[in-house]
Order: sequence, then structure tokens, then C-alpha cells
Amino acid sequence: MKKEKDWLFVLPAILIVAVMTQVPFVLTLIYSTLRWNLARPDLPIKFIGFNNYLHFLKIPNFPQLPEFYTILWQTITMTGSTLIICAVVGFLFSILLDHDIPGINIARVLILGPFFVMTTASGVIWKTTIFNTTFGWYGVIAKALGFTPIDLLSYRPMGVIVFLFSWQWTPFFVLIILAGLQGIPGDVIDSMKIDGANWFQSTFRIKLPMIFHHVMVALMLGLIFIVKEIGLILVTTAGGPGTRSYNLPYAVYMEIFNGSNVGRAGALAAMTVIITLLGVNLLYKMAKKRKEKY
Amino acid sequence: MQGDLAKKQTMYKIKKRIRTPILTVIIFGIAILYFSPILYMFLTSFKTEFQAVSPKLFFKPTLATLSNVLSDKNMFGYLKNSIFQVFFTTFFCLLLAIPASFALAFGKFKKKHTNEKIYVWFITTILLPPVAVIIPLYTWFQRFNLIQSPFGLLIAYIGFHVPIVVWMLHSFFSDVPLSIIEAAQIDGCSRFRQMTSIAIPLIRTGILSAGLLVAVFVWNEFFLGFNLTGNTTATLPVYMARFREQQGMFVAQLSASSTIAVLPAVIFGWMTQKSLVKGLTLGAVKG
Repeated sequence: MKKEKDWLFVLPAILIVAVMTQVPFVLTLIYSTLRWNLARPDLPIKFIGFNNYLHFLKIPNFPQLPEFYTILWQTITMTGSTLIICAVVGFLFSILLDHDIPGINIARVLILGPFFVMTTASGVIWKTTIFNTTFGWYGVIAKALGFTPIDLLSYRPMGVIVFLFSWQWTPFFVLIILAGLQGIPGDVIDSMKIDGANWFQSTFRIKLPMIFHHVMVALMLGLIFIVKEIGLILVTTAGGPGTRSYNLPYAVYMEIFNGSNVGRAGALAAMTVIITLLGVNLLYKMAKKRKEKY
Repeated sequence: MQGDLAKKQTMYKIKKRIRTPILTVIIFGIAILYFSPILYMFLTSFKTEFQAVSPKLFFKPTLATLSNVLSDKNMFGYLKNSIFQVFFTTFFCLLLAIPASFALAFGKFKKKHTNEKIYVWFITTILLPPVAVIIPLYTWFQRFNLIQSPFGLLIAYIGFHVPIVVWMLHSFFSDVPLSIIEAAQIDGCSRFRQMTSIAIPLIRTGILSAGLLVAVFVWNEFFLGFNLTGNTTATLPVYMARFREQQGMFVAQLSASSTIAVLPAVIFGWMTQKSLVKGLTLGAVKG
């Protein structure tokens, strides 16, 4: 058996993935060092080192932070709070769905549904049938209760986006955490009951530590996928008002397709990747540290 | 002692009898509330435009809006593009990823940790956000006029989804005992035959669910579809994004279109859920 033959199995897959993801990424890194503005063909494309990065990172008059830091902070709070809500609500839902009641599979299917809905569809549906102040459920109910409905999308853009992200991603957490709960051996549950552990103890002292690894996996995958998401932002708040609900990928998108500034967009994209990797790495280290403890 | 235990058991049974109905109500209440936006969207697609203006749950259902949307040439074009992308992306992803993950699980390379290294490389490409690659892709697509051809987006989708299939299939292939493969090798089976006649039949369900998962991902994918297509090649998520400007207008049309756009993914998604958990968690534990 020739050993080289095994390469033939892997090579086509490597080739297409490399051409579609790695090569463009390396090119993006190269672009990020260029002065290249599609809207200014009069300026020649020129190597300018780290100037594009400095454009975003530089703090000219100190206490006032430039926009990049606001958007960075928005990205962190948006993703962070979504992940925390997803983990907490996802854990509670999983505890509920772990009960043996008639029709539990239907309940599981209902909770899981939102995860498989395309973000642009769920975004416009929430926007028009629920958040709309005149025609939506929110507006109608608020009026019936005697409140004046405010336009949530412009007054609480971050809240709305975190809410919608959480609605979409909690099912994913349930999927993974529930699998963890069902993997807890039956004798652990039995001895827990015999020892007379109450609900609180059994849930948070016994079950939670046993499925901690599943929560970490869900958090890591959630982070990877949620940071990428810009369709939902585009259809609901379009980043607005102003830049108040931008996240980094959305800022990159606007820099290319509205600003036409390839160099700066490249620099922003590179920083987005670095920050995502830092986040994933942080979670991975936390998970590993915990694993060593137990 | 014996009596005590019996007493405890009956108490437990009584407790359970009271608890079950209460829990059922709570769980179903939460589940239905959680699903309600999709449910309401589904209901509204059976309304006329006039009925849809005010949010009501009870009305006389009609199929007019749904059939209007389905016979709309515009919508039909997007639907056709989406089906094209889903079908061919899934097909080519499986075609490329099955041999790759098979070789990563059982193949032998010159250096020792090559398998693991290639596997990790595939995983890291999943980490890459699409915005980090969109600029060069967009300029290539402009230059070679791929925007107007469905094959452009198809190639991009294959490149982006092969790593996910490799990731999922790797955990399934790893379940196949090495001894079976080795036995086949001793019997003179070529690598290709080992894969097609032994390993693939053993992990049929895994392949099926990885395929379905990719189908759902591609069906829902927005960012690449939005930036790398033109009017004639755009997919359903791009069509749905067009409704973002219509403040409370054409709610019935919107709901009918989203029902068509959402239903297949939700149904296929439900079918994959079990293997999805296995593929993702196992892969993540190792990666």
C-alpha cells in the first residue's frame, strides 16, 4: 500500500477550502496594509504599513474614544450578553425539557424551531408583526394596557438585537445541554433521590457541574457563529440609529460596500478575526482549567 | 423499615401525579410562547392583506395569499436559486468531505501527526468570519463576472461548508472500529473499496444528517448570498431581506413568503437534531 495515495482523498477538499477561505484571508491581510479606496481612483494603491490599523486604534484627544472602541465595546456586550442569556435560559429550558411528561417531544420540537429559521426572515417577522408600534402585537398590547408604545428598534437597538439573537440561539444551547443532561447516568439520579437532595441542590450542585463541559462547548460554538452574524442586524436596525447597533463584522461590511475603502475594511476584518480568536481561546482555557480541577 | 420505604414510595407516586399535569402546562406554555412568532407568521400567511393589518388570532383562512406568492415570478426565481444552491452544495460537500474525513480517520501519512494537523486546520477555517474573506472574493467575482452565474456562489458555498461536514463526519468515522478497516486491508481491499463498501455503509445516518445540516445552513445563509449574487442569482434569504423597508405593509405577503422560506429548514432541522448534537459536541471535545 503506497502511503501517498491517502493524500488523494484529502487533497480536493483541502484545495477548495484553501482557495475559498485561506487565500482570500491572506489577501485581506495584504490589503489591510494598502491605501486602496475604490471611490478614489485618482489615488494610487500604495503600501502604507499599519496606517489603516492606526486609523482605527489611534486616540487623538484622550478622554474621547474614537468610534472603533465604541463598536468594539458594542460587539463585546452584544455577543457577551447574548451568550450569557443563552446559557442561563438554555440551562433552565433544558432542565424543564428533561422531564418525562406526555408529549415532551412536541415541546422540544417547538423550542428548537427558531434555531433553524433564516435570520433575515425572523428579523423581518419580528420587526413587522411584533415590534411595529401601530400594527404589531407589541404596539397593540401596549395600547390596550394604556402605555404609549415606543419604537424599540430606534430607542433600544442593542436590547432588541440581543433579544433576537438570544431567541435564535437559546435552542442551540438547549440542544447541547439537554444531550448532556440525558447523558447523566441513571444511578446518579437515583442515589440523589435516595439521599434526599432537594430540587435546588440536585440541579445546581449535581447536574450543573456534570454538564459544565457541554455548556462550555455551546458557548464556544455560539461565540463563533454569533460574531459572524450580520443579516439580523441589517434587516432589523441596519446598525442604527447612527452606529449604535453596529458590531465589528457589520462595520467591516459598511466600510467595504458603503465606504469603498478596501484597505481600512481589511484592517477592520483582520482585527475582527483576532478578537474572535482571543475570545474563543479564553473560553477554551477556562474549560481546560476546570477540567484539570476535576 | 419496610413500611417506611413503602410509605415513601406512595408519597413519591402521589407527588408525581400532582406534579405531572402542572409541569405539562408550564412546559407547553413556555414552548408555545417561544414558538409563537413563527406560529403567528404561519397563521398570517392564510390571511388576506386586509385581515393581516390588525393582529388577530381568529379569522377566516384563505389560500389566496400563499398561492399569489408562489405564482409570483420573482419569488419563484429566488426559490429556484435556493434549491439549486442547496442541492449542489450538499452534493459536492459530501463528495469532497467523505473521502477527506475517511482518510483523516484511517489514512497513514509520512509524518506522524499529519491527520490531526489537517483536521485542526479544517476546524480553524470554520472560525473565520465571512467578512474576513469577502473583499477578495467580491473583487474576483466582479472581475470574472461570477456574480451573474449561479456557479460562483456555489463554489464559495462548497469551500465554506466542506469544513463543517469534515468536522461532523470525523466523529462518525472515528466510531468505526479500526480493526474492521485493517481486516479489509489484509484481505486485499483497496483504500477506495474500504471506504465505499465498509466505512460508508456503517455511518450512513451520520452522512445523511451531515448532508441535511449543510442543506439547512446553505438554505439559510445570507451574507455570501447577499454580496456575491446579482438579481438573477440571489437566494431566498436575500429576498426576505428586501422586506426590511416595508414598515407594517404587506404583512400577509411577507408572512406567506417567510413561511415558504422557513418551513423546509425547520422540518429538515428537526430531522437532524440528534446527530447534530453528536457531531458537534464530539468534534468539539477533540478539537
